[in-house]
Amino acid sequence: MKDKKLILYLAIIVLALILITQSTFIVQETEQVVITQFGKPVGNAITTPGLKFKTPFIQKANFFEKRYMEWDGDPNLVPTKDKMFIFVDSYARWQITDPLQFFKRMTNERGAQSRLDDIIDGETRDHVAAHNLVETVRSSNRVPVSSGAVSEEIGDSLANITVGREKIQGMILKSSNEKAKDLGIEILDFRFKRITYEEKVREQVYNRMNSERYRIADKSRSEGQGEASKINGEKERELKSIQSLAFKEAEEIMGKADAKAAAIYAAAYDRSSSSRELYAFLKSMETFQKTFDDQTSVILSTDSELYKYLKSMK
Amino acid sequence: MTNNQFDNLNLSPNAKKLLKNWRTILISLILLIIAWSGFFQIGPEEVGIVTRFGKYTRKVDPGLNFKLPFFEKVQKVAVERQQKLEFGFRTIRAGVKTDYSTSGYSNESFMLTGDLNLANVEWVVQYRIDDPYKFLFKVRKPESTLRDISESAVRQIVGDRTVDEVITVGRTEIATKVEEMAQKICDDYSLGTRIDQVVLQDVNPPDPVKAAFNAVNEAIQEKETLINQAKSEYNKVIPKARGQAKETIQKAEGYATERVNNAKGEVARFNALYIEYVKAPEVTKRRIYLETMATVIPMLGTKIITDEKGSNVLPLLQMQLNEKTIKE
Repeated sequence: MKDKKLILYLAIIVLALILITQSTFIVQETEQVVITQFGKPVGNAITTPGLKFKTPFIQKANFFEKRYMEWDGDPNLVPTKDKMFIFVDSYARWQITDPLQFFKRMTNERGAQSRLDDIIDGETRDHVAAHNLVETVRSSNRVPVSSGAVSEEIGDSLANITVGREKIQGMILKSSNEKAKDLGIEILDFRFKRITYEEKVREQVYNRMNSERYRIADKSRSEGQGEASKINGEKERELKSIQSLAFKEAEEIMGKADAKAAAIYAAAYDRSSSSRELYAFLKSMETFQKTFDDQTSVILSTDSELYKYLKSMK
Repeated sequence: MTNNQFDNLNLSPNAKKLLKNWRTILISLILLIIAWSGFFQIGPEEVGIVTRFGKYTRKVDPGLNFKLPFFEKVQKVAVERQQKLEFGFRTIRAGVKTDYSTSGYSNESFMLTGDLNLANVEWVVQYRIDDPYKFLFKVRKPESTLRDISESAVRQIVGDRTVDEVITVGRTEIATKVEEMAQKICDDYSLGTRIDQVVLQDVNPPDPVKAAFNAVNEAIQEKETLINQAKSEYNKVIPKARGQAKETIQKAEGYATERVNNAKGEVARFNALYIEYVKAPEVTKRRIYLETMATVIPMLGTKIITDEKGSNVLPLLQMQLNEKTIKE
């Protein structure tokens, strides 16, 4: 008797457990649920978390993500309007905003990702191809900050834009959202992650960068030489000017002194005929003293004033 | 029935007592399990997010906390810990001498600048989770989302600058702008993260053009050197020339003074003499002549004195000549 009672209890407990698990379900904060009855959606989607109920056995809870989900595109080779081939790698974040619609259209997330691939890749291609490369790179017409000597050379190399990266991203987002409207999803944001040149173009860019740099290097070097020459020239000019000025001044000083001396001499010597004679006489005497030495031989006549007394006393 | 079975066994009185109280033991065991799964600890750098049947109920602070067993779940989020995302490189082993690896991450660091050149930018994003609720429940894969945001923001900011700005003067400004922009996108996505800092690490031109960039730097150095050399040469020569010029002028002035003074002196002497000369011109003249001769003649070498008539040969002269020949 007791055994039978126990089995009955156990059976009731098991049945109750099955009933509970079949009629309740837990919705996490990150989830939303669509209830289906024999595969057909019933009622509104459940978007709030907590313990929820359903009709056991005949209803099924289909869980969907409520958070923003990632979409990461493969890098696409896309030509720009100015015929540059670039790889565009972009990302988006999206959300299931209408789980019921989403359930009808997409069934599951994998299908949605693949639909998003089609939509966003297509839009990206269209919009990138409609703009020049620089429009997808720059987002404003800011003026570059000078970085010294180099940027003086190429500072104006930032080309101005009319649309810009931010707006192109916005356009892709808008038109993608329009196409994804009836899928029950909304794309929150679309952005270019990486834009890079295709391999061949990259080589060309390197060549351009190299030639640009070497041009700057050459210019800088020749500027240095020019500047050095200028300083050298200044040095030479100044040197000559200093030297010649000094020479001129010295000559003037000496000339003035000579003139003054001459005037002094003239005033003394040119006083009268006898002063002139005395001067001439003294000068010749002085000349004797200065010019005669032991190499000089003289033949002196006894008629001379000096030796006239040698012969006889007159 | 069960009691009967136990009675059949040979057990000590203590064991029998234990078995008698099995209900109490079972209940206390269950209570223990409840306590065990109900109490939980939150570390000092964390907060706990408690959900009941999946629904967020409360946030709990560090320390010992209690939740309803089975019905409530707790997720711990390290809100105080600063976390780091690396772009273009990865830290292999942090330590006193940290090892980095850059190979394989060039896709992350490679980007177009506004002048359509290429640059390699490596950077770090430091962030904290400032809203654990959003962090857990608003965005799936928040970390990879933050990576995407960072890459996009850096490229957008770098895309508006020249390669020279990126490599040289723009570094700090770029980091600040990226921080602002990335934070704004985080807020738009309800990511629940706060970006503390964006730090640009190595920022370089790509390898194939590095040599050319270095050449520019070298050329700039060379330019400076050439100019400095020229300036130094200038500074070596010009002050010296100025000094020499002064010397020349001073010498000229010296000459001038000397010349004038000499003239004055000579004239004074002449004048003095002249006064006397005028008194007795002939005598004075003769005296001077003879005095001059007296000083000049002894200095001379060979002296030959002749008489016009040739009758008087001077023995004195002869003697002098002889002496000379003997000496030779």
